[in-house]
Amino acid sequence: MTLTGRFVALLALGVVPIVILGSTPGMATAVLGLWVLALVGLGILDLAQAGSPRKIVLSRSMPSRVRLGESVTSDLYLTNTGGRRLTMVVRDAWQPSAGTGNNRTPLVLPPGERRLVSLRMTPTRRGERRVDQVTVRSFGPLGLWARQATLRAPGQIRVLPPFNSRKHLPSRMTRLKELDGRTSLLVRGQGTEFDSIREYVRGDDVRSIDWRATARHNDVMVRTWRPERDRRVVILIDSGRTSAARIDDEPRLDTAFEASLLLAALAAGAGDHVDFIAYDRRVRGRVQGAQGAELLSRMVDTMALIEPELIETDWSAVPGEVRAVTSRRALVVLITSIDAAGASSALLSVLPQLTRRNTVIVASVTDPTTLEATRPRGNREEIYRAAAAERALLDVARVSAAIRRQGAEVVTGSPADLPPALADRYIALKAAGRL
Amino acid sequence: MSLLIETASQSAENAVSSTPTLREAGRRARYWLLAGVSALIVAVVSTVLAAGGGVGGKPLEADSAAPAGARALVEVLRRQGVNVTAADTLAEARSLAGAAANPTVFFFDESGYLTDDQLSAMSALAPRTVVASPDFLALQTLIPSVGFGGVSQTAVSRAACTVAAAVKADKLSPGGSTLTIPADDAELSGCFTSGENAFALVEQATADRTLTLLADGTLFSNEKIGQAGNAALALNLLGAGDDLVWYLPTIADVPGTGTPSLGELTPGWVTPTLILLVLVTVAAAVWRGRRFGPLVAENLPVTVRASETMEGRARLYARSNARLRALDALRVGAVQRLAGQVGLSRLASLDDVIAMVATVVDRPPADVRTVLVDAVPASDSDLVALSDRIQEIERATARATTPLPPGRMDS
Repeated sequence: MTLTGRFVALLALGVVPIVILGSTPGMATAVLGLWVLALVGLGILDLAQAGSPRKIVLSRSMPSRVRLGESVTSDLYLTNTGGRRLTMVVRDAWQPSAGTGNNRTPLVLPPGERRLVSLRMTPTRRGERRVDQVTVRSFGPLGLWARQATLRAPGQIRVLPPFNSRKHLPSRMTRLKELDGRTSLLVRGQGTEFDSIREYVRGDDVRSIDWRATARHNDVMVRTWRPERDRRVVILIDSGRTSAARIDDEPRLDTAFEASLLLAALAAGAGDHVDFIAYDRRVRGRVQGAQGAELLSRMVDTMALIEPELIETDWSAVPGEVRAVTSRRALVVLITSIDAAGASSALLSVLPQLTRRNTVIVASVTDPTTLEATRPRGNREEIYRAAAAERALLDVARVSAAIRRQGAEVVTGSPADLPPALADRYIALKAAGRL
Repeated sequence: MSLLIETASQSAENAVSSTPTLREAGRRARYWLLAGVSALIVAVVSTVLAAGGGVGGKPLEADSAAPAGARALVEVLRRQGVNVTAADTLAEARSLAGAAANPTVFFFDESGYLTDDQLSAMSALAPRTVVASPDFLALQTLIPSVGFGGVSQTAVSRAACTVAAAVKADKLSPGGSTLTIPADDAELSGCFTSGENAFALVEQATADRTLTLLADGTLFSNEKIGQAGNAALALNLLGAGDDLVWYLPTIADVPGTGTPSLGELTPGWVTPTLILLVLVTVAAAVWRGRRFGPLVAENLPVTVRASETMEGRARLYARSNARLRALDALRVGAVQRLAGQVGLSRLASLDDVIAMVATVVDRPPADVRTVLVDAVPASDSDLVALSDRIQEIERATARATTPLPPGRMDS
């Protein structure tokens, strides 16, 4: 039960009769009493005439998924099963980050009829956004008092990572196709397979001349190779505590998602098998054995629910996880953070196990503010800040060098640069036949 | 992504409400309602019970059982057949005294409400008047020749006078204030002396009335009535007649002043309007404060800026004045950049880098070495100066190693 502004205004209006009629204290008090009594009586009458907010059938209809940053419409159907007309305000109680804005809708619902309440939602956060209840406030015919009830009407929508880096995909796919179409890949390496023998043209590497074929033909022939398909790519995202840190107002984890989505789309387009694992002390999400379009949709679906865990990542179990995915040689992409030597020692200690059998890329988001902080040196504070920034950069450089010594590749970049940089490194490795 | 799902059941069943109905709310709150009502009942009952034997009340009030009250004396008098009636105003005392045949008036005005006219009127009400603890005005009005005598110092004061009640009492409890009377006044007799003309009791006996002044009224209180001869004095003084008017003046005896009070000046509608204002405030609070359904909970992620560690380290440097350490960090960063600029590998030795840089910027190697290695900053201004020189060398190297735009090579 609640009151309306109209009731409050009417109550306040009681000052007029009190001043006009209340010549003596007794008279004025009597007028006050009568006024309040009459209004409360009207309110009770009004409340008795209000439609029951409990006699409503609710049903929802909305998409099950939405990309972060896009808008969807959440539909709520209300059917009045009571005998009275409902003059009401409906609050569809979505979580705040579902981005519904004003979720209170005035509605008139005659008995037996059904009405639609549509809310435009623009979720502001990745993950599962829920709604559990609908609150209905039903006013009486005079609009003085109102009945209120909260009804259960569960619903949910999964907000997927935005995959903003897909804008880099067309250009990288083009480069991949060029690579793929350049059948005269003359350098043989691991990850290439024999394609064909063709006539020598000026400019071909003389080392690729196939002398036996040349002997058979009357012309100089060269062997060509093409990049091998069906390689394995294992993307492992560190969802431990360091992934919670924000760089350019985006958690490291989200940047890691962007980078891995771009890489997965690219690798799937190039015909490789992509497996995805999010790991800290246990597996938070895993996508295995998915192909083509299904791969990306399963990946974003899995990623939607992964949040950074505030625990230290257990790197010692990572080689085992990679072996569990594939026993073949694979490209292992570890997306984590490269900070101080102390924090990265666990990673460094397990890298040899991975690099022995696989090609390993360690990708890390770097903070552009650190680089900027090294420049201004106007006063004492700025110099200390620059020194701290230099020290941080030095730490990153040392750890990167250590990782390279273990035989792994290092890719770093700001949140905007990391996804395309990782994709480029993948293309470079593929071109070099190192997958 | 555009797959539509229907989450609610299609059967026409009303949605489950989580808001309790009035009946459910009543049932849920029953315990507290009952507890509240019983607590209220207990409070009311105990208040009523406590009021009967209350310890409050004014001093020497007829029905007060407090130590300062006089209920003990009044009860004994009543049991002896004296009709004791309490009066709050002079008018009441007058009507009670007028109705009785042979009344005695006991008068005690602790707060000094009465004016001199009212005091004279009071003293004329009955043939016997006992005034307890008379104040200055009372003395001036009733017997001007009597003065205050200070506090009695004697341990035991004997009656030593002709007043019958005092003789029967023989002695009073020690202490208490006294009154003085002039030695040559035949009408006045003082009892219970405690020195030079100082008496605890003074009686003025004229032809038709007797006025007794009791210097210390607390002698009749519940606390002291049982001591020495207090009770005998009190009973004999007050029980001489059949009726006793126990008159303690109240605020009602104070005559009204001429100017009207604030309450009389305000119009009649002001108080009801204020009450209405309070009601409107309460109603408005309900109107705006009633929540539109329960709050919706959501787990929000913590916000940790990655640059926080760098800022923290900078503050640590600053707080501990780690000038050399900070400068070394700047130098290492600068040397690595310089090595790249002059075309040496990252692993080149420091001496090689310094020699190369000195050549490129055309400066003595010792100078460059001082800036990049040797100088120790002694103060913050040294630190700023050295940092500036490092940057200056970096800029000079960058200028020297950046190829000039084509076309200007000849100049």
